[in-house]
Amino acid sequence: MPQGVIAVELVSLPSPAPASAPKAARPAPPPPPEPKQVVLPKETAPPKPEPRLEPKPVTPPKPKAEPPAEPAAERDYSDVLSELRSEVGDEPPPPAPAQTASIGTPTGNPVSPEFLAWERRARIHIRQNWVVPPSFRDEPLRTSIVVELDAGGAILGEPRIVKRSGNPWYDDGVVRSIQKASPLPPPPEPGEWSFVFVADEGT
Amino acid sequence: MRRTRWFAQLALLVLAGASRAGAQDRPAVVIDPGQARSYGVAVQRFADDSASAGARRADAFREQIVRGLEYSSVFRSIDAKAFLGPATTVSLDEGESVVCSDWSSIGADALVEGTLRTDPSQLVVEFRAWDTTRCTKLLRKRYTQPVQADIAPLARRIADDIVAAFIGVRGVSATEIAFVSTRSGHPEISVMNADGSNARAATANRSINTFPNWSPSGESILYTSYRFANRPLLFVSTRGRGKPGRVLSRLGDRSGVYRGVFAPTGPKLAVVMSESEAAEIFSVSLDGKDLKRLTNNRVIDVSPTWSPDASRIAFVSDRSGSPQIYLMNADGSDQRRLTFQGSYNSDPAWSPDGRWIAYQARLEGQFDIWLIDPTGSTNVPLVSHPRSDEAPTWAPNGRKLAFSSTRRGSADIYVIDLSGDNLLRLTENAGNNTNPSWGPFPR
Repeated sequence: MPQGVIAVELVSLPSPAPASAPKAARPAPPPPPEPKQVVLPKETAPPKPEPRLEPKPVTPPKPKAEPPAEPAAERDYSDVLSELRSEVGDEPPPPAPAQTASIGTPTGNPVSPEFLAWERRARIHIRQNWVVPPSFRDEPLRTSIVVELDAGGAILGEPRIVKRSGNPWYDDGVVRSIQKASPLPPPPEPGEWSFVFVADEGT
Repeated sequence: MRRTRWFAQLALLVLAGASRAGAQDRPAVVIDPGQARSYGVAVQRFADDSASAGARRADAFREQIVRGLEYSSVFRSIDAKAFLGPATTVSLDEGESVVCSDWSSIGADALVEGTLRTDPSQLVVEFRAWDTTRCTKLLRKRYTQPVQADIAPLARRIADDIVAAFIGVRGVSATEIAFVSTRSGHPEISVMNADGSNARAATANRSINTFPNWSPSGESILYTSYRFANRPLLFVSTRGRGKPGRVLSRLGDRSGVYRGVFAPTGPKLAVVMSESEAAEIFSVSLDGKDLKRLTNNRVIDVSPTWSPDASRIAFVSDRSGSPQIYLMNADGSDQRRLTFQGSYNSDPAWSPDGRWIAYQARLEGQFDIWLIDPTGSTNVPLVSHPRSDEAPTWAPNGRKLAFSSTRRGSADIYVIDLSGDNLLRLTENAGNNTNPSWGPFPR
């Protein structure tokens, strides 16, 4: 293990030399502010080095107690809301189209209202158990799994990955989440059910 | 009779078939991410065989692992008071059973257990990480180091390993960030852990020191210092291997070398020097050989940053009349403009995965941090604030960035996830803290 110590150099040097501060790149419109690092006595003025681009307020701004939360940290309460709705038996709003792109079965059979109600509950339940770290959220990852559910919604046997995302850690997280979610809300009928886990919030 | 039985069997078969309607007959349930972004983790106190070190060493070790895991944004630690299972590791012997439900029921998706053993002159650390939901061991590993060595970096390294086991991307809690601090009254190079702890000075020459840049091995830091004759020259500070001091001493004799940046792949630098009163970018070997001029015009070309494979360089030029980000091949060919929005874009930093170039963009008088992809087709803000955010640098895993910001008044170093979450201030001393450079993974 490297030791976490950087050698400190003590260099004997001429008394604090007159120094020139880096200046901002030449023709930048509005005039570049003073560089922040350096107070310079005039004398030898070395040519312009790297532009330092830190504008410095003339009057010191009021210090803030804590950096405010970044805009991206805003919470989306939609799933909390729908969860509460489902708990009080309230009729939830119509499902978002992106999440129910699968109306109708692959074989063309119509989908029952029973299925739609269960699908909504199952989705809310699984989402609560699915940890998606930030590093996966901007990736186009999709994993399809099939699980066998008993009448009570408990998973029988191992979930089966039928289409991998290409990222084994993401696939692991998907399997982890469905196992954690067992038992699911009781399905319309026991048997095999498939789930597609889509990471990218935009897709 | 026989016939009746046959019919009954047929009926059963049909029913069984119906009840096992295949998944292919039913629509798939599409699940998109909810709010859960982090795994719960239970970190046990490692069993420590050293009576003299006592509980203190094990407690300190656990504390560092917890900090490292939480720094990743991938885990949140569960208070040991809530544990149903043992708070201290019993044994890592195979056959020693872990009751996974004890951990999953308290919200721990992961369990970390381990041992600390003093083996005359060596500290032997062994640990295991469990996926408690599936009740499987994800990782088992052993590290050794001299007994007297600091345990914190090792504990953080273990935390970073565990992050990798869960998401496939190593954590960066065991890495370091170099920066410029005026804490002493002079701009000196300082180094701190990636979470801001253990900040210490790397130079103390009371001159102007700036633009720290880590070597790919993490053994040394290149920086610009005005300590001799008030001329900018390049120096290296090292961890002990190699000689600290001036580098490229033949170069820059006329006007100096303003900035040097290590290529990610070898002992090569991109440097900024003055030619005919204009700053130009050169490439050169660390031993001063193979000097090659890459830009050649009467305007300023500065702030080079290498692509991860060292085949290309992004830089700042004011050839269009305002500072903008440009790209070129590493031999100087194919120079073209990348940013077109705004009148002042600078300080590019190429991400370790090559997908992004972070830079500072001046909008409404102050700088924000933006990300642009090397084709220029995507250009998005990452950090914006009424005060200036500047000089981005990438964590070696590409999942976090550090930058300096004046949002508290004086400049401080902050770190933020690539997703825009988990903003954290790292510096708290007086003075200005600027120009962060994130070091590589420890070896």
